[in-house]
Amino acid sequence: MQILGPTELSHRILNGDLCTSCGACADLCPYLKSHGVKIANVFACDRETGRCYAACPKTGVDETLLSETLFALPWKDAPLGHYRRLYMAKQGPKTPKGNYQNGGTVSSLVIAALEQGVIDKAVLTGSDGIMPRPRMVTTAGQVLECATSKYIAAPTMARLNRAATEGDRNLGMVGTPCQMTGLASLRTNPLARSDFEDPMGMVIGIFCTWALSAQGLFSYLERQEIDPLAVRSMDIPPPPAENALIALEEEVKELPLDDIRKLVLPGCSVCPDMTALWTDLSVGALEENPEWNTLIVRTERGEALVDRAVETGLLEIQPISQTSVDNLTLAAANKRKRALAARERLGMLDPAFQKPVEVQPKQTIMGFK
Amino acid sequence: MSPLTRGNPGETHLMMGNEAIVRGALEAGISVAAGYPGTPSSEIIETLAKISDDIYTEWSVNEKVALEVAAAASFAGLRSLAVMKQPGVNVAADFLMHLALSGVRGGMVIVAADDPGALSSINEGETRLYAKLMEIPMLEPGNFQEAREMTCWAFELSETLNMPVLLRTVTRLSHASGRVTLGKLPIPDRKAFFRFDGDMLDPMEGPIMTPPVGIKHQSQQKKLQQAAKLFEESPFNTYEGPESPELLIITTSICDLYSKEVVALLGVKDRVGVLKLGTTWPLPAQPVLSRLATTRNVLFVEEVQPFIEEAVKVLAAGSQLDLSSLTFYGKYSRHIPMAGEMNPERVTAALSTILRLESGPVSPVSKNYPGTSLPPIPPREISFCPGCPHRASFFSINTVLQLDNRQGFTCGDIGCYSMGMLPGGFFTLKTLHSMGSGSGLASGFGKLDKFGMDQPVVAVCGDSTFFHSAMPPLVNAIHNRSAFTLVILDNSGTAMTGFQPHPGLPVDTKGNQAPPIDIERVCRAMGATTRTCDPFDLKATQKQLLEFINGKEENQGGVKVLILKQACALSPKKRHTQSFEVAVDPDRCIGEACGCNRICTRVFACPGLIWDAENNRATINDVLCAGCGVCASVCPQNAIQRKEFP
Ligand SMILES: Cc1cc2nc3c(=O)[nH]c(=O)nc-3n(C[C@H](O)[C@H](O)[C@H](O)COP(=O)(O)OP(=O)(O)OC[C@H]3O[C@@H](n4cnc5c(N)ncnc54)[C@H](O)[C@@H]3O)c2cc1C
Ligand code: SF4
Ligand code: SF4
Ligand code: SF4
Repeated sequence: MQILGPTELSHRILNGDLCTSCGACADLCPYLKSHGVKIANVFACDRETGRCYAACPKTGVDETLLSETLFALPWKDAPLGHYRRLYMAKQGPKTPKGNYQNGGTVSSLVIAALEQGVIDKAVLTGSDGIMPRPRMVTTAGQVLECATSKYIAAPTMARLNRAATEGDRNLGMVGTPCQMTGLASLRTNPLARSDFEDPMGMVIGIFCTWALSAQGLFSYLERQEIDPLAVRSMDIPPPPAENALIALEEEVKELPLDDIRKLVLPGCSVCPDMTALWTDLSVGALEENPEWNTLIVRTERGEALVDRAVETGLLEIQPISQTSVDNLTLAAANKRKRALAARERLGMLDPAFQKPVEVQPKQTIMGFK
Repeated sequence: MSPLTRGNPGETHLMMGNEAIVRGALEAGISVAAGYPGTPSSEIIETLAKISDDIYTEWSVNEKVALEVAAAASFAGLRSLAVMKQPGVNVAADFLMHLALSGVRGGMVIVAADDPGALSSINEGETRLYAKLMEIPMLEPGNFQEAREMTCWAFELSETLNMPVLLRTVTRLSHASGRVTLGKLPIPDRKAFFRFDGDMLDPMEGPIMTPPVGIKHQSQQKKLQQAAKLFEESPFNTYEGPESPELLIITTSICDLYSKEVVALLGVKDRVGVLKLGTTWPLPAQPVLSRLATTRNVLFVEEVQPFIEEAVKVLAAGSQLDLSSLTFYGKYSRHIPMAGEMNPERVTAALSTILRLESGPVSPVSKNYPGTSLPPIPPREISFCPGCPHRASFFSINTVLQLDNRQGFTCGDIGCYSMGMLPGGFFTLKTLHSMGSGSGLASGFGKLDKFGMDQPVVAVCGDSTFFHSAMPPLVNAIHNRSAFTLVILDNSGTAMTGFQPHPGLPVDTKGNQAPPIDIERVCRAMGATTRTCDPFDLKATQKQLLEFINGKEENQGGVKVLILKQACALSPKKRHTQSFEVAVDPDRCIGEACGCNRICTRVFACPGLIWDAENNRATINDVLCAGCGVCASVCPQNAIQRKEFP
């Protein structure tokens, strides 16, 4: 796959409304930066190739390369990707009490990785009201502060990029499939830098089918006469629930999920990955029991962490039912199919989408370059 | 002792046009001079402040106030001078309109310095039309000697007519030098006293005001007629050439020199005559009409507006001359360009066409000095100086507006920082007009949320511009609940025009102690939320600015003022001093491999930092680097290292 540069990224993805704010392109250089949940082009960069372009999960994903680099295996086009084990899992008896999304598997695994010294720090996603805020954590207490899902897409990868640039190594990270794809692409050292080191000690993905646009959600709430800044948290209960729960200071408001789904980022429609294919471990809800999680173990080091977490009482695992696996596989395959259809529709499979764009610089003054 | 204050009449000295004006004013015995800095006028007040203790000189807060300060002296019977560049006349115009009508007492001269070609301006305004609009007499010196003589005579004229007199100079006269023979310096003996108890209509003893307008306007017209009479006899209007020239050039100001030079170079002295007018408004009828009667072709050579061209055509139309036998060439016929400065080349081109000269246009420069053509100078970007705080400020403003990502923009204002519209200022400025109008526009933009505008609005202004004319729009914005952030680029002086002091500084025009006015306290008293940052601290500046434009502050919306305080790199107190020893660590700067795409030299682009293409890394130019250390915070690799000077 040809690696292009910031011009193509800005033109096709950022300005093309395909960006899902994963943050993979941001804070790698002085030009593209994340601020709040947005990605900003601070100054013009005219490089023809860039890590930003290579990192972006929307410009195209080189699955063969990712598979070979991360798993040392050829890519086989399976809906759940490479995995060693599948479990149902939840927090162990030693996991501190917390406000977890489902079984608390993610938080438990991060705490275990920190305690075991598998990682020194982890990049998670906390929040400020309903605004997601990427955070660097080192303690169990901080992990708990980041528990539960934030439904607004967050540039968590930008925080990781900053840490990696500052020289942090042995990092952990929890993120959605787009964030994890961006991270995986960066871990292939796309521009073959001589000083490259993989900063990751453990990569934990969470399942995802969509995320919301901050701007969309804010204006929707305003239309419902809810001050977005006064919202303390938002929850989407598992089906058959039909309403999202908006917790305010004094009351909890219910808003129809049908409305909320209209606020999904357009870029999510081209996302082919539901289970975070390019990770050590991936965690999602377990359809039949919201108190548990689905846990996909993809790598050896992921497996080792799960084992140690179980040993130390931070995790409980059980075999997963074949029905669950079948349902998950079907859901993942469907997401992939829908995404490819959407990519086709938007011309993203067209070879021209992988060619450099010619844009005239907008603002030049006669006599100046 | 400066030749300007030497009392040796008859001595000849090399003087700049502005110095010749100063000498003329001294010979007229002025007591008060006030102005606002602006190229090409600034040296006049500056020089007066330096050389004479007998005169009260003042850098006023703006040109209108300067005119008022000078008028007060005149009302009290003293001779006074008001000095400004052309846009300043626009600022002062309101008062001038009234002053022209009310009349003055002591001789009062307004020196207006125009800048044809906009060499140091952002417009190409023309002051001469004001003489007509304000109905006051105007003189235009055509050389250095005249600059002295006319200035001196202008005061007499003003007292004869009880009217302010306009003296119009241009960059090429004000800033060039020539020989000037000195006149006599008087012994100052005037005492200031304002008489006001005479008759309403007594110009010398009554109150000074414009009503009763009907009567005053009539007397103003009479005075102008009187001026026109005096101008008919004036030695400042001269003619050089054959008695009946094939072509008559009518010109004024510095264009006289160009015209005569070209006539001589083309060898057409026997065919072309040059009528130079020095007293250009009201137009002296007789000298012009009698010359028109001797020719069939007339060429007007003047800069900017066809001012004389129109006046002469009007005069001719009302005369006994047979117009059918006269052909007029000038701006209307497109023989002389409507915009830009005049120069010998342009006069040559016009003459060659009109006289159908065989050789076609010749360049007088190359003809004059054969073999002196130099290789072309490589084009260089106009940019801020090394260590200039504006570069750092614009870097931060641009960064923050981009981060905020709502297509926020910055309204520009007048000063060195106007260059913020260029690549060197990262194209930060999106509007640029007159002084103070950045804040006025921002005040207006800040009210458009009602119509769906959610772009953050920023305005910039310098410290001197703040006092000059940004305060009223700021008051306006606060009172009307507009919302924007004003960034005051406080570099402790009127840097662009040469560090004249302004009311924010603890010194006055002569360098004596004066009470400073604290910009931040003024803004706070007005009701703005204020903060001060050091623009060299990029991180703190950007954090504060983000807070301001993101409206996260305690009082959301409203007017925020961020003062970015750091002295100009060329300011007398900073020049030749360095805060840091700065060097690029060759091991850390990995060049193209970094991925930074040379942000230091390609984007931030301080002239003190250069790209060493051979070694593929940035390097400090020790001669140019001012040691501000800012580039160290721009490099993402921490390759630029700064060490504090002990
Ligand atoms: C936008 C979004 C959509 C999802 N969609 C599905 C789905 O369709 N099907 C499904 O099975 N599961 C989905 N999940 C995952 C699910 O909600 C739980 O995160 C997962 O089951 C783990 O539960 P837990 O109790 O172990 O998590 P916890 O222990 O509560 O930990 C949650 C972790 O998620 C991270 N996180 C929260 N919000 C974000 C975010 N916006 N971006 C990146 N990281 C974040 C936090 O860092 C935290 O570490 C989604 C999650 C998100 C954020
Ligand atoms: S999707 Fe991610 S990598 Fe792509 S442009 Fe958006 S933030 Fe950057
Ligand atoms: S659906 Fe895909 S693109 Fe959208 S937030 Fe989830 S992982 Fe990212
Ligand atoms: S320290 Fe850097 S920014 Fe400052 S003057 Fe020197 S080269 Fe320019």
